[in-house]
Amino acid sequence: MADPAKPLDGIRVLAQGIVWAGPFSTMILADLGAEVIEIESIQHLNPTRTNLRHIPQALLEGRAGASYLNRDGSEGFWNRQAWFNYAKRGCKSVTLDLRSERGHELFLDLVRHSDAYIENNAADVVDNLNIGYEVLREVNPELIMVRFPGFGIEGPYRDFKGYGANMEAVAGHTGVRGYPESDPSETPASLHGDPTSGAQVAFALQAALFSRDRTGEGQLVEISQFEAVASHVGHAFMDYQMNGRVQGHAGNHHPSMAPYGAFPCAGEDRWITIAIPSDEAFAALCAQMGRPELAEDERFADTAVRHRNRDAINAEVAAWTPAFEDHALMLQLQAAGVPAVATTHHEEITSDPHHVARGFFQSITQHEAGTHFFPGPMARFERTSLLPARPAPTLGRHNEEILCGVLGLNAGEYQQLLDDEVIGTVYLETASA
Amino acid sequence: MTGPLAGARVLDLTQGVAGPYATKMFSDYGAEVLKIERPGRGDASRRIGPFPRDEPHIETSGMFLHLNTGKRSVTLDLATATGRELLLRLAADADIIVESFRPGTLERLGIGPDVLAEANPAAALVRISSFGQDGPYRDFEADDMLLYAAGGVMQVTGDPEREPIKLGLYAPLFFAGCVIAGMMMGALRTSLRDGQGERVEISIHEVLTASMDRGGPNIVAYQYSGALMIERIKNVVYSGLPTGVYPCADGYVQVATQPAWFPRMCRAMGREDLIDNEHFTSNVFNPDFLPEMEAIFYPWVLSHTKQEVMEIAQAEGWPVCAINTVEDAYRDPAFRARDFFRTIEHPVAGTYEYPGLPIRFKRTPGEMHVAPLLGEHTFEVLTERLGHTPAEVAILGQRGVV
Repeated sequence: MADPAKPLDGIRVLAQGIVWAGPFSTMILADLGAEVIEIESIQHLNPTRTNLRHIPQALLEGRAGASYLNRDGSEGFWNRQAWFNYAKRGCKSVTLDLRSERGHELFLDLVRHSDAYIENNAADVVDNLNIGYEVLREVNPELIMVRFPGFGIEGPYRDFKGYGANMEAVAGHTGVRGYPESDPSETPASLHGDPTSGAQVAFALQAALFSRDRTGEGQLVEISQFEAVASHVGHAFMDYQMNGRVQGHAGNHHPSMAPYGAFPCAGEDRWITIAIPSDEAFAALCAQMGRPELAEDERFADTAVRHRNRDAINAEVAAWTPAFEDHALMLQLQAAGVPAVATTHHEEITSDPHHVARGFFQSITQHEAGTHFFPGPMARFERTSLLPARPAPTLGRHNEEILCGVLGLNAGEYQQLLDDEVIGTVYLETASA
Repeated sequence: MTGPLAGARVLDLTQGVAGPYATKMFSDYGAEVLKIERPGRGDASRRIGPFPRDEPHIETSGMFLHLNTGKRSVTLDLATATGRELLLRLAADADIIVESFRPGTLERLGIGPDVLAEANPAAALVRISSFGQDGPYRDFEADDMLLYAAGGVMQVTGDPEREPIKLGLYAPLFFAGCVIAGMMMGALRTSLRDGQGERVEISIHEVLTASMDRGGPNIVAYQYSGALMIERIKNVVYSGLPTGVYPCADGYVQVATQPAWFPRMCRAMGREDLIDNEHFTSNVFNPDFLPEMEAIFYPWVLSHTKQEVMEIAQAEGWPVCAINTVEDAYRDPAFRARDFFRTIEHPVAGTYEYPGLPIRFKRTPGEMHVAPLLGEHTFEVLTERLGHTPAEVAILGQRGVV
């Protein structure tokens, strides 16, 4: 009973989903079949593509330069960049100078033809561009608008700027992760908040669609990343209120399990993570270590006492693991019922036997960057396959398709837009972040 | 207040963190979530804590209370034929059925996808597992750290001279829950469209592999340039300007400074004189210049509290934020001004302020309600929904089915 329609087939989403949270939301929505049109411009650099009109050689040669195909910073580099090409797969790109009268008019016309507009620009941007919810609702009462600047669109931090690491810091996540007995400078940042709020956008848009299908009414939806992250440390807020405890940097410690952590394996920078939830798993680990007496040791006799002596038992495990190759040890321990997983290296992940067996990585050919492997959709729909995945768009790639095909512009009008630099496919020399 | 999902019915066979966080999003935003729990034991998160006064109690685990707001708890022993029959009758009423048992468990219990589809051909079935329903790692034991390690991001997180480090407790599973909720919506939409159901499989391992928490882009970058963009690095020095964690008068701040933001930084520090100073402007991309820049930055940042640094910097558009402890965050003025925390009274655990709703639907806000006691709604659901008499429910209770 094949049904070719993907879940969001027929849903058109205008997006200014920038930096990292935005692209994660549009990736999910595009994977689910929505027609996601990224609204960019040739006047304003899309920060997911680049913050700089020209990439300095020093940056290209450095770590950040690794995100550009062959570290090539020549013109069009913004079409060959890993962050954008990873997460904007399946999206379309239309450039519109929203500051021009014509660009603004065309945007409103697009809104008329769309189901949703999602954006995580700085909180004041849509009002400055005169495309706030009140304006757009006049044009399309059924529109769903999802706004997700890092600190929301209301409140004292409304105009604060930041990346995921900043929101995580305010929300308390940075305070509970990181190496124990250290200060936070010793633990480089994670980016937990961005994909979290991006995923919530994908949920929220569909929930609002569910409501619209029943009521005929659209609505404004607000998501703030710092609240999204705070929800993920909820148990720590509960602990603070229940016990007056301010949880600190937990590192790789678990509140009840031991042994627990990342242990060194043979070779350079190879690790295995082990988590022992029960006496049975501990006995199995001791047997694998050839140290059955450890399971009888009074310091390690049950979960509670093991946890109290976690440094001692972790040290025993850490002394044993370096003789083994990480992947082989994982297979050996799992076969014995011991929860253990080697840390996967991104250099090797596309050939990981489990991913290969499940066919997770998808080969996608992007117009200017070529063919590479990308992690596939994060869910498998049995009736309505989310594959094949389509490439990320080059800048302005779908201008003609959308402006002429959807809005009905004729060739002359389209040419005029090009001449007036309302649209285009190359950033202007004066383009800035 | 009515949420956007009012009218949707979820039969929730998940436990732990990822699945329950996804169904919490359904519950908080208006769906009816029937949570099936094992008689006597209930969800594993009832044993996680934290507990008031650190005294374990099946009804007071902070993790459980937070993850299960507004759900209705029905206890059913799925190891019994009667328990399974009751489950199938509840399934007949659901729009979406979601489960997170180990792969193969549903089939072994005799309530696999085909049996559920027979009970309700129109419902969506979403199956969540650590490594998926097939493949060589299918039966691997895992928890949040092990899945984070398997997904590839843990290897690039932390100090290169130390062991890779995980996120905050269960954070990868909370994140997975957010993705799962979005995929559940997709499944619901598909099945509602033609009334023919849909089956969706989600592997948390794959969700974490694909995450925008550096993993997905790093995998592509490696193929683009032969080098990783992100590795475990002590201090990521991309430029000549301070970026990362810095100490201040009362703690630490998280600083992000793009080269183009040098003027904002100068204004925040009251050093407008540097904005056009060529010695500085010509070095903003030069990582070797950082110590000279820090010699100016440190005295300024150390003379202010984290809240002051944040407010002064942000007024100039420079993304600097306080690194809050849990206590700081609990008292943070923006959370308070936005009424983020919701006060919820629980009959056993007491009254606490729960982290509230991160998604604000302006027309259909939804609301958080108290998490259920174990089996609190069994009687009501069996009598009102399934038409059993109180006496029949009592017998089921004696037999341990409910």
